[in-house]
Amino acid sequence: MATIVRTSPTPILRRARRWAKDNLFGSVGNTLLTVVTSAILGFVLYQILRFVFITAEWEVIETNRRLLFIGRFPAGEEWRFWPTIFVASALAGLTWGLWSRLEWQAAMILAAALVPVFAFFAHGELALLTAAAVALAVLGYGLAQLWLTGSGYSAAARQLVMVGWVITFPLTIFMLLAFGGVDPSLWGGFYLNILLAVVGIVVSFPLGVLLALGRTSSYPVLRVASTAYIELIRGVPLITILLMTWLVLPIFLPSIAVPVLAPEGLDDMELTYRVMVALVLFSAAYVAEAVRGGLQAVPRGQIEAAQALGMGTFSVLAFIILPQALRAVIPALVGQFISLFKDTSLIFIVGSTDLLKAGRAITQGQIEFSSQEKEVLLFVALVFWVVAFSMSRLSQRLERTMGVGER
Amino acid sequence: MAVTTIGAGLSLWRNVRVQRFVVQAVFAAALAAFGYYLFTQARELDLGFDFLNGRAGFNISNQVWTNYDSNDLRRELYIAGVVNTVRIAGVGIALATLLGLVAGVARLSGNWLLSRLALVYVETARNIPLLVQIVFWYIAVLLQLPRLADSMTAFDMAFLSVRGLALPWVQTENGFGLWLIFLTVAAVAAVAVRQWRGKREERTGQPSYPNWVALGTFVAIALVGFAIAGGPLSPDRPEIGERGFRYDGGLFISAEFTALLLALVTYTGAFIAEIVRGSIQAVPKGQTEASAALGLNPFQRLNLVILPQALRIMIPPLTSQYLNLTKNSSLAVAIAFPELVGVSRTIMNNTGQTIPMFVIVMATYLLMSLIISLVMNTLHRRTTLVEH
Repeated sequence: MATIVRTSPTPILRRARRWAKDNLFGSVGNTLLTVVTSAILGFVLYQILRFVFITAEWEVIETNRRLLFIGRFPAGEEWRFWPTIFVASALAGLTWGLWSRLEWQAAMILAAALVPVFAFFAHGELALLTAAAVALAVLGYGLAQLWLTGSGYSAAARQLVMVGWVITFPLTIFMLLAFGGVDPSLWGGFYLNILLAVVGIVVSFPLGVLLALGRTSSYPVLRVASTAYIELIRGVPLITILLMTWLVLPIFLPSIAVPVLAPEGLDDMELTYRVMVALVLFSAAYVAEAVRGGLQAVPRGQIEAAQALGMGTFSVLAFIILPQALRAVIPALVGQFISLFKDTSLIFIVGSTDLLKAGRAITQGQIEFSSQEKEVLLFVALVFWVVAFSMSRLSQRLERTMGVGER
Repeated sequence: MAVTTIGAGLSLWRNVRVQRFVVQAVFAAALAAFGYYLFTQARELDLGFDFLNGRAGFNISNQVWTNYDSNDLRRELYIAGVVNTVRIAGVGIALATLLGLVAGVARLSGNWLLSRLALVYVETARNIPLLVQIVFWYIAVLLQLPRLADSMTAFDMAFLSVRGLALPWVQTENGFGLWLIFLTVAAVAAVAVRQWRGKREERTGQPSYPNWVALGTFVAIALVGFAIAGGPLSPDRPEIGERGFRYDGGLFISAEFTALLLALVTYTGAFIAEIVRGSIQAVPKGQTEASAALGLNPFQRLNLVILPQALRIMIPPLTSQYLNLTKNSSLAVAIAFPELVGVSRTIMNNTGQTIPMFVIVMATYLLMSLIISLVMNTLHRRTTLVEH
């Protein structure tokens, strides 16, 4: 077989026929399966294409893109978003380039979904700014792939990127609140979904680490309390916790005024902040379970060796256990971030204007678009899907490159 | 004190026992102080569960097995909500498992088209938030259907409209109780026969088809019982009611229930498909090759060799998906399907008793999680025993 290939390269047509025989028409059963599958696929594809290109009226999205992406954010304050978006896209490009390689298949799928949407909805200034953000991401990726990976600087670059991510978070909040600020009740749209997911994962991370340490601790009081908290939270749906922070939290919080966070007193905190509290409390339990997995993956000998060197409890924890445990936990944390990101759509139920709520508001409030439910909800689904799908690809990659066994 | 003598020469602070005691005492004190603070805040509220015995004052739709109205007690309507959660979770778990199994196996199919189709399904369904899917099915699909009076219909047997789906069903007649007794006898007999045939097969090596013989026994006894009881079931066809407000007869599945079920099943099914795929891939390839060498056909290979082994790996992650599905059914609040969170919200609004109600809701969910975990752990233990 191999000799034949070498002497006369198989023509593409014969190769295609061979592939089809192997993968589609190998046996009677297989052929039948192919026929049935193509019939279903053809029907579904036809319906989707007919809807997207013929029946659907996408004007509703174009008209309301502002509401969908930033909610009721006041006009003239959009500049607050761009620094964060630029920094984040550059960092995202660098991260992809430094830690993994772009999967062309996934990239093509994403591009196929995004380019038409972009071409249709972005005009003028918005198009320019978006193009700049995309260019920064590509630039970051190229820089990382071409010069940094494999060079002597790659470790330093990775550290810098991590620091960058850590700084992005306060930068985002600063940009929203500084220079006069925008009232949190006006934050909304898809930006709010992203923001809530990021706040949720960033703030719940230290809490989760503490809970995980508590659960694996040798101190019974800490162990019981941490375990009880984790299992209670994981046993109930997020919606009960959201409803509790919405309805019950104000009863228990004191009326102490905290600047920025709650100028009217903690018991009168903005709904947006209360939602954040719920997401953090909820996410902490899941982060704790992920971190616990990482803690258990650290070999016992590491701890014993450190103790033999005379290191104290705190030093062992900070310099031996946590660095190894947390590295093993990164893929699981990305997974938790994706699931938290999807869960942010639940704030729709307590009345925050996230992407889903904005979508509902369009068809409920604008009489000319009241019958465009399908278009709006499909667009909402697409936006969530693009982010969740690309993140999940990233986490699969990280799992392969950062696996505990393969380090 | 013993502590100081052991730690002699070291400062008290460096003593491990002292550290243990101090850290835990401080933590316990902080927890107690926090609890006391909550208690003082809650003391002014009228907390208690008496409101559950009050007249509900509201009614809920979608009641199955229960039939309460606004004159009944709040706790009875709460029970109706719990029944709805159990119903959606039970049906959802069964269907999601089926879909996940099919999609997971399809993912590994040698047929390129089929495996790609399964991949597209999995990647689409699990990356769109469940709530978006629920709202999509409900608002964009089911609520766009025709009015009840203009229902779509298949052969006048089943109807579909904006209100929901009406399917042909059966009605119980006199003698149903008698038939139930026969069914119980049939089930016991079938289990006994299955064991007997299984033992026989093991002893003699003769193929004894324990499952088929057991099924035959069950059907035979059930049929005889059906005849003796005088045909206790009769077909019940749905029809559009006189004024076009409701369906009469048949099995009615509301649009809310359908939307919730569709979304929960497609969402959870995608996760289960990944679990199934991973578990099958975890079974060593040699097992497939060996069973192929023994002359088993692809279906037998899957059914007799691969799946039983994959099942063992599958059960723990499957348990957590079942728990997720149960908890996720609470998203029904968004489309006003009255399951336990929805009913609780109404009770909270009517009485203002948010805190006791939350305690009850959380306890209910924890109880359900506990039951599912217990069932699945038992199953897990039994499948691990197969190995020996």
